[in-house]
Amino acid sequence: MKKVLSGLGAEFDTGLCCLFVLTFAAAMATARADDRWLHVKVDDTGGEGEKVRVNVPLSLAEKVLPCIHAHDLEGGKVKIRGEVNGIDLRALVDAIRGAGDNEFVTVEDRHEHVRVAKVGGDLLIKVREDHDRSKVDVKVPFTVVEALLSGGKDELDITAGLRALRAQGDTELVTVNDNAQTVRIWVDSRNTGE
Amino acid sequence: MASRGRLLIQRILLVIVGVALLTGLVAYSEGAVIVYVHEKKPEGHRIWVPAPALLVDLGVRFVPEERLRDALQDLRPWLPAIEAASHELERSPDGLLVEVKDRTDHVMVSKGGDVLRVDVDSETETVHVSVPISLIESVAERLGTSGGAV
Repeated sequence: MKKVLSGLGAEFDTGLCCLFVLTFAAAMATARADDRWLHVKVDDTGGEGEKVRVNVPLSLAEKVLPCIHAHDLEGGKVKIRGEVNGIDLRALVDAIRGAGDNEFVTVEDRHEHVRVAKVGGDLLIKVREDHDRSKVDVKVPFTVVEALLSGGKDELDITAGLRALRAQGDTELVTVNDNAQTVRIWVDSRNTGE
Repeated sequence: MASRGRLLIQRILLVIVGVALLTGLVAYSEGAVIVYVHEKKPEGHRIWVPAPALLVDLGVRFVPEERLRDALQDLRPWLPAIEAASHELERSPDGLLVEVKDRTDHVMVSKGGDVLRVDVDSETETVHVSVPISLIESVAERLGTSGGAV
């Protein structure tokens, strides 16, 4: 009986050790695997045939941005310049968030169609231009918009935006298609953009 | 008597070879900075320079402060970003970070193991540079903490 018990104890200890080692190994393996990557893909369909690919871990961008102090970028925040004076962007976003899914802006003329809407927690911007058959689609999760506006007045907190983006699943952020080029910006968990 | 002399020479040679090997091993223990340039023209030069990362790191530490100050004027604001980027890159999986290609030029920046690679292939030359990421971090840290406000 004693022998059986001690045998069980040894098996239990070995099993526990194996479980611990496996758990630790899995944790180590996934420690960076859960990192999300920002991908930029630009293909020039014109004469030069230029092609640009950028694959950056969001964690890297998140750590590096606060270290850059140049032009309008200071500590991971960028000053908003232009015609936003007098507009409380945060109040605007709060109002849109509380409004539920809807189309907020629609501009249509003979050559251009612009649509800004909120759909399923995402802010969608669609621009269609006839003259160069360009299509621009921007999709930004609302949590990211809120994080971007979480800094001071008239500034965008890019680092907070990246942090919020990291918490999102795979996200298609920007696609641009026109006669001359295609641009795609998206986030996923793969370290390759192809 | 002659055989004793030969034995002594053999031992001295063995020690010299051993010391050289050990020095090489220590020098390259931190990896190497490798620069390869190939000019694409008749009789174009082909240059291959491997430099032990440890010596580069040590070399930077012995550069006089005043010389660093001049050299760093433009680079200094970017040093914290370079240091943070290299620290984070070390922990990132391998892969292609940046690729730019047009009809004549092809530039790639990639991470493989603990090395950052820059490959440039143009009409006139081919350039490959590989640098241990830990060296970039260490040099950026050293330059960032080097005295003398700019």
